[in-house]
Amino acid sequence: MRAAGQRIRDRWISLGVLAAIALLWQALSILFPVEAVPGEPMIAGWQVMFSKTLLSMADYWQGGLGVPSVSEGAPRTYLAAILSLLSHSFDTIVRLVCGLALGGVVGLALGLAVSWSAWSRRLVDLPVQFLRTLPLLAMVPLFQLWFGTYFIGKVLFVAYGIGVIVFAGTVNAVRNVPQIYIDNARSLGASKAMMYRTVILPGILPEMRSTLLLSLGTGWGAVLGAEYLGAQSGLGYIIVYAGQFAYLDRMSLVAIIFIVATSISYRAAGALTARMLEWAPDSQRA
Amino acid sequence: MNPPSNRMIELVHVQRDFRRADGQRVQAVVDVSFVIPEGQFVCLVGPSGCGKSTLLQMLAGLLPTSSGGIVVDDKEISGPGPERGVVFQKDSVFPWMRVIDNVEYGLKCRRVPAAERREIARSYLRQVGLSHVERAWPRELSGGMLKRVAIATVFANGGRVLMLDEPFSALDYVTRRQLQDVLLNLWSADKSGVRKTVLFVTHDVDEALALADRILVFRSGCQVDDIPVEKERPRSADSLLEPDMIAIKRKLLHHIGLDRPALPDAPAA
Repeated sequence: MRAAGQRIRDRWISLGVLAAIALLWQALSILFPVEAVPGEPMIAGWQVMFSKTLLSMADYWQGGLGVPSVSEGAPRTYLAAILSLLSHSFDTIVRLVCGLALGGVVGLALGLAVSWSAWSRRLVDLPVQFLRTLPLLAMVPLFQLWFGTYFIGKVLFVAYGIGVIVFAGTVNAVRNVPQIYIDNARSLGASKAMMYRTVILPGILPEMRSTLLLSLGTGWGAVLGAEYLGAQSGLGYIIVYAGQFAYLDRMSLVAIIFIVATSISYRAAGALTARMLEWAPDSQRA
Repeated sequence: MNPPSNRMIELVHVQRDFRRADGQRVQAVVDVSFVIPEGQFVCLVGPSGCGKSTLLQMLAGLLPTSSGGIVVDDKEISGPGPERGVVFQKDSVFPWMRVIDNVEYGLKCRRVPAAERREIARSYLRQVGLSHVERAWPRELSGGMLKRVAIATVFANGGRVLMLDEPFSALDYVTRRQLQDVLLNLWSADKSGVRKTVLFVTHDVDEALALADRILVFRSGCQVDDIPVEKERPRSADSLLEPDMIAIKRKLLHHIGLDRPALPDAPAA
């Protein structure tokens, strides 16, 4: 356990590095004032990002809440811009969470099935090990043609990306549950269902924590990928739309929003799992 | 109440082979047969690698026999069962359950109502001296306390046979002596009137003498001796120094090979 003072100093150093990166970006924007199309810098400085670029997000506001959209003839406002970013982020997060839940549950269930019985292993192990080698990105056009702009298509895409990671993580984690706990539960009279509920599931939790964080990163990537294919909303939709007009500043701004959202999700997942691992030694909760 | 069975545990020509990585066949347990009446406290003693732990694993139902049969309470065993409690050498307490939930675990498996199982668990926690840590996580306990939890757990589960596989070997001398007393007190305080039948594996000769009604000695997978210990209880440290106990100890040391000089080639003084 390190002293609090040390941690605060570490935090300041980290923030300093981030600030340096922001300054470097600003310097690059001044040193290379190249424009993709007239009026659209390749590297947008912060003064552009937080004025013109932010305001332009109002273009993606689809109306409602008494705030009229630009397509209805209203002028761009910061309110519409902020609402726009929030609503598109929300759509992306809903797709991510649904995909995460579906992929997590199916991946976990299939992963547990590998160790459940000889029969379930035969049914699941080889086929899933085989299927999971399908490259996620290569499936993008396939999913586009199958599901078009439907919500379910994006959720399934994310769920697939996450499911294969959770599956592999589960199989591995179950293998690493110490035999002594399994023997102890059996000798105390646990049924198989009881064993899985009270020994295997809690026993795999410390390892599943890193699997969850890993799959969260993949999930964010996958949900953007899914939104590139004809979504009508979401952060990925803004990026694709901005890309078509070479609005590089807008793409950069969305990327920053994306970094913020991802970081928050990591923190939330970390805090949630740390609570579930209250019983574990500190080294497994850090 | 049925009279105590005089054939609580019966082993008939039990054999266990392993195949080593190099393809060699190793006989861990060779043609072992014995009968243990109900309520007896039996220690299985022998040097490391003599097959005593393998034997206990088979009795627990965690390892199949290569041949031969094991009958417990007139039933041939085919796997683990709650009527045969096990205390393992390594820590077996579930780290993700609080102490009290660990002690209740076996009762929960058999769907004993929550209030009843809590009461039983509390009573055994009190008897092993751990009432004050019932809500603690296992990581907060010492090795000796974890062993107390394991003992409370098997006693709470109420099996008629109790097997312990070198349970105290990793503990210091004082803790080991305390836990031997905890075990003996629980064993003799059994409310049902008939004591549990205990199989206690150890390589510690003094531990066997302090605990056992009967000592079975193993060497190289074979049972080589069967020694009754008819000393009254409780046995004090002094009682282990009495001539009859010393005679047994000498016999055990001989079986283990510790009665010979440590340096066979040293010149006689």
